[in-house]
Amino acid sequence: MTTTLVSAAIRDKRAIHVIRVGAVALGVLAASGQVWAESRGFDPRTIPTPPMDSAEKFIPFMQKWRGDDPRLLARRWGRFQAMVKNNDLRRPKEKRAFLLAPREEFARTRDPARVYAHDWLGIGYGVTISGPHIVGRMTTEIDVKPGDKVLEIGTGSGYQSSILSYLTDKVYTIEIIPPLAKKTNAIYNRLAKAKFKEYGNIKRKSADGYYGWPEHAPFDKIIVTAGIDHLPQPLLKQLAVGGTMVIPVGPPGAQSLLKITKVKSASGKIRIKRHDIYAADPSRAGGRRKKKVSFVAFTKYTKPGSGKTVSRWGRRKTN
Amino acid sequence: MGGSVAGARAVTSPRGHAMPEGGRLSVPFFLTVGLIAGAIIAYQIAIMRVFSIGTWAHFGSFVVSIAMLGFGVMSAVMCIGTGIFQRRWGLLISAALLAFGPLMVLGNTFAQAIGFNPIALASDPEQKYKLFYLFVFYFVPFLPGALFLGLVFLRGQTQFNKVYFADLVGSGLCGLAFLAATYLVAPSWIIMIPVAMWLAGTLIWFGAARQFLLAGLAILLAAGAIFVTSSYVQIDVNQFKGVSYAQKFPDSKRIYRDYGPFGFLEIFASSYFHFAPGLSDNAALNLEEMPKNAYLGLYIDSDGPIGLIKELTKNQSAYFEYLPMSLPYALKKAPEVFVVQLGGGISTKVALQLGAKRVVVAEGNPAMLRALRDAPNIRRLTGDPLHDKRVTVIPYDGRLYVRGQRGRFDVIDLSLADSTGLSHPGGFTIREKYNYSIETLRAYMQALKPGGILSITLWNKEDPPKSVPKLFATVLKAAAAEHGGKIEDKLFITHVYLSTVTVLYKRDGFSATELATMKEANEDLSFVPLYYPGMKVDASGADKVFEGYRASYIDIPGRKVAKDRTKRPNLSATNLYRIMLHHMIAGRFDLVREKYVFDTRPLTDDRPYFAAYIKVHEIPKFLNQLDSVSDEWGYLLLWATLIIAGIFAAVLMMVPVIWGWRTIFSRQRGKVGTIFYFLCLGVGYIIVEVGLISKFTLALGNPTISASVLITGMLLFSGLGSLYAGRYIERCRTVMPRVFIGIAILLAAGAMFYDLALDAIGTWPYWTRIGACLLLLAPPAFLMGFPFPTAMTMLARLGKERFFIWAWGINGSFSVVGAVSVPLVAVLFGQSTVILAAAALYLIALPAFFSVLCPPEGAAAA
Repeated sequence: MTTTLVSAAIRDKRAIHVIRVGAVALGVLAASGQVWAESRGFDPRTIPTPPMDSAEKFIPFMQKWRGDDPRLLARRWGRFQAMVKNNDLRRPKEKRAFLLAPREEFARTRDPARVYAHDWLGIGYGVTISGPHIVGRMTTEIDVKPGDKVLEIGTGSGYQSSILSYLTDKVYTIEIIPPLAKKTNAIYNRLAKAKFKEYGNIKRKSADGYYGWPEHAPFDKIIVTAGIDHLPQPLLKQLAVGGTMVIPVGPPGAQSLLKITKVKSASGKIRIKRHDIYAADPSRAGGRRKKKVSFVAFTKYTKPGSGKTVSRWGRRKTN
Repeated sequence: MGGSVAGARAVTSPRGHAMPEGGRLSVPFFLTVGLIAGAIIAYQIAIMRVFSIGTWAHFGSFVVSIAMLGFGVMSAVMCIGTGIFQRRWGLLISAALLAFGPLMVLGNTFAQAIGFNPIALASDPEQKYKLFYLFVFYFVPFLPGALFLGLVFLRGQTQFNKVYFADLVGSGLCGLAFLAATYLVAPSWIIMIPVAMWLAGTLIWFGAARQFLLAGLAILLAAGAIFVTSSYVQIDVNQFKGVSYAQKFPDSKRIYRDYGPFGFLEIFASSYFHFAPGLSDNAALNLEEMPKNAYLGLYIDSDGPIGLIKELTKNQSAYFEYLPMSLPYALKKAPEVFVVQLGGGISTKVALQLGAKRVVVAEGNPAMLRALRDAPNIRRLTGDPLHDKRVTVIPYDGRLYVRGQRGRFDVIDLSLADSTGLSHPGGFTIREKYNYSIETLRAYMQALKPGGILSITLWNKEDPPKSVPKLFATVLKAAAAEHGGKIEDKLFITHVYLSTVTVLYKRDGFSATELATMKEANEDLSFVPLYYPGMKVDASGADKVFEGYRASYIDIPGRKVAKDRTKRPNLSATNLYRIMLHHMIAGRFDLVREKYVFDTRPLTDDRPYFAAYIKVHEIPKFLNQLDSVSDEWGYLLLWATLIIAGIFAAVLMMVPVIWGWRTIFSRQRGKVGTIFYFLCLGVGYIIVEVGLISKFTLALGNPTISASVLITGMLLFSGLGSLYAGRYIERCRTVMPRVFIGIAILLAAGAMFYDLALDAIGTWPYWTRIGACLLLLAPPAFLMGFPFPTAMTMLARLGKERFFIWAWGINGSFSVVGAVSVPLVAVLFGQSTVILAAAALYLIALPAFFSVLCPPEGAAAA
């Protein structure tokens, strides 16, 4: 009886062992499958780097290679110069990404005077495309490395992710407003079919970005492009240890741009650190305050039908 | 005069008027005066409520203050054309009465239709025009109101004290009635409250005059007003108000609504509410299960949200350990806890969850208690913590409970009191925060058991910081006062940038073991320490840091900045706070106050304000960067109102003088003295009234209650004073000086002793408190009812009719100036200064009184 029990136990243990080994093997397979699946994307490093030393070289190059509009290229170059001077673009990789990304495809306007202007532009649904300098600064701050998994909260126009797609092949983006998500999705699809294979790497979904994208977590970098008054816990959870997140935090219209790092302390504890990315900037002799940014509120979503402004006489009443 | 009045009678009073010429004034006359004066007051409060809910209350007071100058305009016009107004008295008074009611509704309807957005005031030029239209739309209704009062004053001038009695008592009672009516009338119908008062007054007037056609017309107009109110938006809720966001969430649902004098309270449920009241960034990393859809959003007057945490599952309840309010429980096991303000109920839940033996929780807003303690659906969703057997609810201000009861507690929690989740882009109004004054903090400190901890958590979302340095100064000053300056070992201060700051005060200091525990708890939560006993701070770069913050707003000539970014001063909020605390702990409060760009004076009972952080002499330097100090707009608007109202009042005062110089004024003696007299009374009376509303909040807890008790009490007692003053008209030369001196003495004594008295009263049962406050108020208010009607009656008796109307206008215009100056003086110098200033004004008025008595040239002395 005892023998039977013991042998059964051994058998069970073996069974457990077999199951464990099998599970691990399956896991490895699955994981490698996933890695394979995820690394199968188009490698953005294969895209040629445009000349960055002068407009005279840059414009003809882009015109010849991708057929971009020279008037818009001139504006892109002008904005590029200003951003470099302002420290918004620091490393060659971000400079290259900015010069490659066609903002005009996402800005919902092709007016050369406006596309590359300093300020944000409205794109409908009560949301905006951020000014190039903010996009450049946020991108620079998270220092995306090839192969980094990057999550963007707030797809909006699609411009931010288009820049990210020149830095890594693993870009994930979430948009809360379904019709906007659909429109931007169509833009990505159209461009990806044409000369922008890199946009095929951008995984998109329409959902409340507050909860992140747990199926693909952890992310090496997270970039939030909507203002909120606190750090969303799900995003902190989905940020990899050693990862970085940039997020505008504060009241609507006057947020501080925070850089969040998740680090392991000497004692082995995980710590979250907050840093205002403009904190070192304001010390100009003439006086300039710590920069505030103006992002639309985090959950900017209207009930179907309530988004339109009806005539003033028919507006909602409080009762 | 006789002929002109006969003309008036011929027009209006074929069948005997409410006020027959030459005879005694009738009861219907007084009733109408009271009701129309009351409707004017009610309309003012209604506009304030509309702005409170739709945009921001201080724009309401701005608009109302300027619109009130309608009285000044009407007085100037009537002064110039007194003859016409006397001849056409009957026609004009009927027209004024009929127009006033409908115009109130139309004014508000148009004003709410133009889509004024104060947030865009600095950036969108169109908004300035819209603000101008707002003035116009709210100004117009005050004209017929003022015309009516002007006409009845003109008619009743020789018995002015009685007319004035009706005016004051009517205003007082209607103000109270308005507040009571807000329990019954939904906010979108609030404009109909003054309309109802108007209708009552109008019907009495025309009924007594047997002018039934006109009475019928008034009823038709009232029906029209109801139609307009029901058809058009009466409160246009700004898209940037908190509630506008909540309404747009796809799954949002309003699950509770309540209105009354304590505000318009709404609770919404939606999965899109994302709250973290100071929640540690580490929560999600360590929690087994992060609560999802855990909050309800509570809005008061469309502002918020205040998060009401729902009942959490067992797996989720560790969530509470990651809130800053949990810090004292790292040291105190099974404590007796006092929660100063219930608010959204989070501190109470934290205490219960972390093992409190007993929790006493106070809430001064009855509407909040009704929602959280009594509403069945809210109780169910929030897990009903207020009915936990360990919990005792105190239905009034926690501050008063502690100051009065002297109960002893292991933990006293003051977390996120008097604030909502987001800082408002429209700015915060200047509101008394007695919960945070030095005196109150000392009371909390004294109410701690041996080893007890006072834990204060405040929002820390401003950069550059404004409220937090004031909090530091206040806590440290209070602690220093308790311990003779030796406070190094008694504080543990920590924060999370753009989230919250928490100050822990331990009466008998932190031991080494306790300190180690606190440090560990702090690190586990990723909170950043700002001060603890023995913490090393490098304050050598302090000057550069203060200079850096200053340079963010104000040019500093000759300032040099290192080209190398790494050599620039560390301007992080953490570094700034550490430096400030380093100096404050050593008692160098003045140094911080002088060097930091914003005001860091502590809050006291006399000056309990977080708002008004821009130093007054530096206001001009901020005028070209208003968008960067939008949270200070409430304060800056007051200055704007004061300047505009001052200019308008001066112009309105001078128009009749210039216009009628040859005909009237050059022949009148005592002009300057008369101006002075009515100016002093206008400013003096109103600043006592408005000033005491703030002051009496100390005992009454709630500003709304305080305002209604004060307005009603002041006007009633002054009305009685006015009536009583009629007996002394003949002896006014001897009686009035005594009255002025009496007022000055009573007010000066009040300025010194109100705090003490109100502190004591504050602990009594509520109705006793109201009674005691009224008793405290009665003597000065009664005497303050004397000067204005006495002087007016004398002007009338001396035949100075134009002076009479003019004086009324001066008094009204400068009342606006006075009302606006109260919060400014209180913020700068303290509330006692306001009351002392009023005492001084009444003293100045004494000699000026004799100018009023100067007989017109060529006439015999009165």
